[in-house]
Amino acid sequence: MSQAASHDDGHHNLMVNNKKLIMWLFLGSDCMFFGTLISTHLIYRKLYPNEFEPTSLFSLELTSFSTFILLMSSFLMALSVSAMHKGEMRSFRRNVIGVIFFGLIFLGCQVYEFTHFIHEGLTLSTGTFGSTFYLMTGTHGVHVAIGVFWLISMLFYSQSGKMEAHKNAIDVEVAGLYWHFVDIVWIVIFTVVYLIEFIG
Amino acid sequence: MSTTITDLPNQTQANDLNNLKPEKSDLGLIRPDHSKNVFVDWLTTVDHKKIGIMYGAMALFFLLVGGLEALIIRTQLAVPENDFISAQRYNQLFTMHGTTMIFLAIMPLNAAFFNFLVPLQIGARDVAFPRINAFSLWSFVAGALVINFGWALQALEAFGLFTAKGPTAGMNDFVPAMGWFGYAPITDKEFTGAGTDFWIMGLQILGVASLSASFNFIVTIINMRAPGLKMMRLPVFTWMTLIVSLLIIFAFPAITIALAQLMFDRVFGTNFFSVAGGGQPILWQHLFWIFGHPEVYILVLPAMGIVSEVLPTFSKKPLFGYSIVVFSGAVIGFLGFAVWSHHMFTTGLGKIATAAFSLLTMAIAVPTGVKIFNWVGTLWGGRIRFQAPMIFALGFVWMFMMGGFSGIMHSSAPADAQQQDSYFVIAHFHYVAIGGILLAIISGIYYWLPKMIGKMWQGSLNIWVAILTVVGLNITFFPMHFLGLLGMPRRTHTYLAGFGWETYNMVCTIGSYILGLGVLLLVVDIVRCFRSKEAAGNDPWDARTLEWATTSPPQVYNFAQTPVVNARDALWADKYGPEERKLGSVDESHGIHMPSQSWMPLVASCGFIPLGLGLSLMQAGVPFSGYAAILGLVIITVGVALWALEGPGGYHLHPQKKA
Amino acid sequence: MNKFKDFCVFSAGLWALLLVSGCNLNTRMSTFTAKGPVAETQLDLFMLTLWVTAFIFLAVGGVYVYVVIRFRDKKDSTDAIPSQGHGNPLVELSLIGVSIFLLVIIAIPTLKGIWYTHDTPSDEASLLGSWYTNGPLSEESANEPFIIRAIGYRWWWEFEYPQLGISTANEMVMPAGRPIHIELRSVDVIHSFWLPKIAGKVDLIPGRSNSMWIQAGDSYEAWLAKNDFQGSEVDAQSAYNNYLENDIYDYYYGQCAEYCGDSHARMLFRAHVVKDEEFYAWVNKQKAGHKAPDNMEWDEWYDAYDNAPETLTGDVNEGLKLFMGRAKCATCHVVGGNPRAVGVAGPNLTNLADRHSIAAGWLNHRNEDNSIDSKQQFNNFVQWIKETDVVKPGNLMWKAKGAGIGELDPLLNDEEINQISHYLQSLK
Repeated sequence: MSQAASHDDGHHNLMVNNKKLIMWLFLGSDCMFFGTLISTHLIYRKLYPNEFEPTSLFSLELTSFSTFILLMSSFLMALSVSAMHKGEMRSFRRNVIGVIFFGLIFLGCQVYEFTHFIHEGLTLSTGTFGSTFYLMTGTHGVHVAIGVFWLISMLFYSQSGKMEAHKNAIDVEVAGLYWHFVDIVWIVIFTVVYLIEFIG
Repeated sequence: MSTTITDLPNQTQANDLNNLKPEKSDLGLIRPDHSKNVFVDWLTTVDHKKIGIMYGAMALFFLLVGGLEALIIRTQLAVPENDFISAQRYNQLFTMHGTTMIFLAIMPLNAAFFNFLVPLQIGARDVAFPRINAFSLWSFVAGALVINFGWALQALEAFGLFTAKGPTAGMNDFVPAMGWFGYAPITDKEFTGAGTDFWIMGLQILGVASLSASFNFIVTIINMRAPGLKMMRLPVFTWMTLIVSLLIIFAFPAITIALAQLMFDRVFGTNFFSVAGGGQPILWQHLFWIFGHPEVYILVLPAMGIVSEVLPTFSKKPLFGYSIVVFSGAVIGFLGFAVWSHHMFTTGLGKIATAAFSLLTMAIAVPTGVKIFNWVGTLWGGRIRFQAPMIFALGFVWMFMMGGFSGIMHSSAPADAQQQDSYFVIAHFHYVAIGGILLAIISGIYYWLPKMIGKMWQGSLNIWVAILTVVGLNITFFPMHFLGLLGMPRRTHTYLAGFGWETYNMVCTIGSYILGLGVLLLVVDIVRCFRSKEAAGNDPWDARTLEWATTSPPQVYNFAQTPVVNARDALWADKYGPEERKLGSVDESHGIHMPSQSWMPLVASCGFIPLGLGLSLMQAGVPFSGYAAILGLVIITVGVALWALEGPGGYHLHPQKKA
Repeated sequence: MNKFKDFCVFSAGLWALLLVSGCNLNTRMSTFTAKGPVAETQLDLFMLTLWVTAFIFLAVGGVYVYVVIRFRDKKDSTDAIPSQGHGNPLVELSLIGVSIFLLVIIAIPTLKGIWYTHDTPSDEASLLGSWYTNGPLSEESANEPFIIRAIGYRWWWEFEYPQLGISTANEMVMPAGRPIHIELRSVDVIHSFWLPKIAGKVDLIPGRSNSMWIQAGDSYEAWLAKNDFQGSEVDAQSAYNNYLENDIYDYYYGQCAEYCGDSHARMLFRAHVVKDEEFYAWVNKQKAGHKAPDNMEWDEWYDAYDNAPETLTGDVNEGLKLFMGRAKCATCHVVGGNPRAVGVAGPNLTNLADRHSIAAGWLNHRNEDNSIDSKQQFNNFVQWIKETDVVKPGNLMWKAKGAGIGELDPLLNDEEINQISHYLQSLK
């Protein structure tokens, strides 16, 4: 990601690249964003346990599939970061295309899930459950979409031939950090929002 | 040693810059570097010093706006059953007074100091991400415009140029009138109109500005320190900047999400806070104060940092207990996340929660007290010079202590049940906000403005500023303690005679005019300083920290050679310390790399205006507002994409090479 | 230097002036004159924090002033650089220790206060059944403390007495020396119940059941314990009655303390603390409601109203006709006894003319001796009906769709307003 105009002339006291550090900080802050969203959901879920019965609507198979897809995309992301470090542009491109493809599948699943739920009567204004569920998963979806957009831009940029391992490996690594984080957040959401409903 | 890192004949640099031609960016566009056009230069600047000055100028403007709002409020309250302004106008004014002072005056004033000083204090050329820094500034401006947009509509309406009818019929209450805390459910669209939407979107944009600035400063402070400048050698002000930035990145998400939930409630009919759909208004209070209490420390810690710089300089002693002051700052920041519910003692938290938050609140008095002890310890045995910055810093310690005492009184939850939402609380936080924060900021202005503009203060107007602000503050807010204990609730646009409040209110109003006059004189003094003929020189106060080692004003590259720091009070050690403690310098024969200027931060931030206004007006059903919001998103996306593609650029300066 | 001295002297003088001018602390809503155990606990804690902080103020402030004067840069001194001491951990630690000790002094009574002020006393003597002698109570009610339900509306108060089956608005009537459990409810936004002399505030939050307890004056037992009274039971009783008579029976002022919109400043209320007998009389009167004008039965009156309204004459009758008819008052208001005045959007008007204020405490007609200034009362009724939007900007009575005064066409004329006011004044 070259949009963060790193002014890297000097040394780094921490031996961590500025771009990487700012991404870590952003992710720390993002934890609080998702923390707030997830806790809002859980608070209302506990407050109104009988307001809505999500197990009737959730399809564990579909969500497990999309979770698996997202996990695999993280794996591909790691591969593409490593490829970039080695300067293997073709392998990098192949893996990034894979990440984008899997990301799009995940988003597709989410769009399908949302339309299905709305069709079944769970809308934004269905009590507090609809509100918290859609805002939380929607925010995560927006994160994935931004990630996909970012990787697509990077893919096109790499086509221009301006991408070089020594210069841009850090950008790919930062994008990778972001992607892994989004993946981890989804695992948390999948656990405390979906899986937990089917226990007990 | 210090001469090699600082003093170079000014013309050297000027020649250098004149010879430079702007290069093309990766996109093939000419970069706006080295522009002779003042507007282009300032609008595209990535220089932390110019950005700091712009933050400061805008914040001072909003300080005056917020002050004017306060004076109208006080005028209305001067006598009982006054009808100087209507109830609705009064409610708008106190809402905007709070919002303006916190988000548009004090936070950006602090940001002005962060921007200008932090890179200088750590011996860096600039912040880590200069373009993100510019983006933070312009997003702040966009947020300020969106929040205040209602006043413009109100003014147009007053002149008969605008009425809410036809397509805009859904708009009423252009100016927010639900308090700066916006307690649900009064923010529901059933109770308030378009003003609330402007407020939500404005705060959201300001949040983006604060977050991006904070990421930037943390990276800068952690990663860009000059060689030898270990963390425990950092000037205390820089330490406080670091802690405040950390507070911002962990506290702002709570309010951002709460505002998003509120916006969804209003625009898309969700049920986060709307009672009819099962929402719990109390949730808003929790989310708001999880942000709001750290916010108090976000406001006050920089002030403590400023005072921790000024007191040592003017008593010619190092800060007493440096590590304890730093550590107590961190403890305050950490505990700041654990005391939010003391704003909610009257909401029926239950015994256990009330007791826990009561005790934690008392605990936070300890690190705060530690700071005061250490300031007194700093003065002890020193040689105290009563120059302008010091007078305000001394006033700060005194007045902040007053605010702290009423704070301890609040921590006792049963006693707080009488004080909460009364004028006692107003007295408390204005002693902290004006007696504490504002006096420290004025002290900082007197201390650092000569560094910023290279000119020295003239005359003794500063004494009058000090007298009028301190006296005005005490006349205005001391009686409010009594008013509150005599039962006068906050946020009331008028009151009945016969409750024993009349005299106090009149005194408060007189005091507020005195205070207003003091602030006005400050502005006059600042203008006089700008017109002063006397050069400040590098180190007019015989100061201790690194920023005073370079020229006033500093060159665009800050230091001709990156300094090597060998002591805590780097400049003091350089001036008076042993040889091994003096400043060194890094050999930079390849020249100084400077970042290129860019239009893109400005372009991307501009997108926030249609986005914010569009989303706000959508709630009121104004046609095409959704398209405006989409337009805003497109502008932001395009701005960021071009930003990424143009590349960081940069050019080299060789200040040592004489022309 | 001289300027700085002037500055110090000036500031000190000003402070002295301010301290001296803090004169009368016994005003209508003063928290300094606590009149019940809850407010007293809160006041005691405030005074404790005040003394502790005053001590710190004198100690730290004293040292501070001394240091600033003692270590000022003297003109005659040499340019020597003072010793560059970096701090003293021992001093720091002992100061931290002292601070913690001082905070513990505050913390312990605070914890006791939190527990004491939180739970409504539920001992035998506090239960409604143990003292209420004015008619039968349900078993459940008898075993509860006395409950008043305060309901917040923008911008007025409803006070319901669920155990007694009555309701009133803006002026609650309560007995002395008994704990009262206040249930706090809101129908719109957040309000806050604050009766400073009797108790600090607790919020009324929509969708949430808050409660608090209040008590005006000490109970007999508490008073005995506190005053260590020597003498016969009879003497003690009469001394206690004297205490209530002189100190407690009074007209107390309260106000909404949480911002609730346009007319937040005008959402006041009153609490009338009265003898038990007076309280019982008020309850009975409130229960009984009103008969129709001219001592008619309501059936009879409505018969005339429906069939031959012109036979109902006089200001009161004309006023009631408007109240039920063109002015649409009955759409929103209850008047006890009147079978057709059952609207619930506005305040209950039963015995309205007995109240010492209207418009949620904003328009007052109370004389010093607690009697009612009936001329002022009439003027207040007129003013309220005529310009309710001015007295209370944004209120429902002016702009309620289809029933608001502002929507009447034509608006009520002066004569009609006078007639309604005459009718309202008959509600006692």
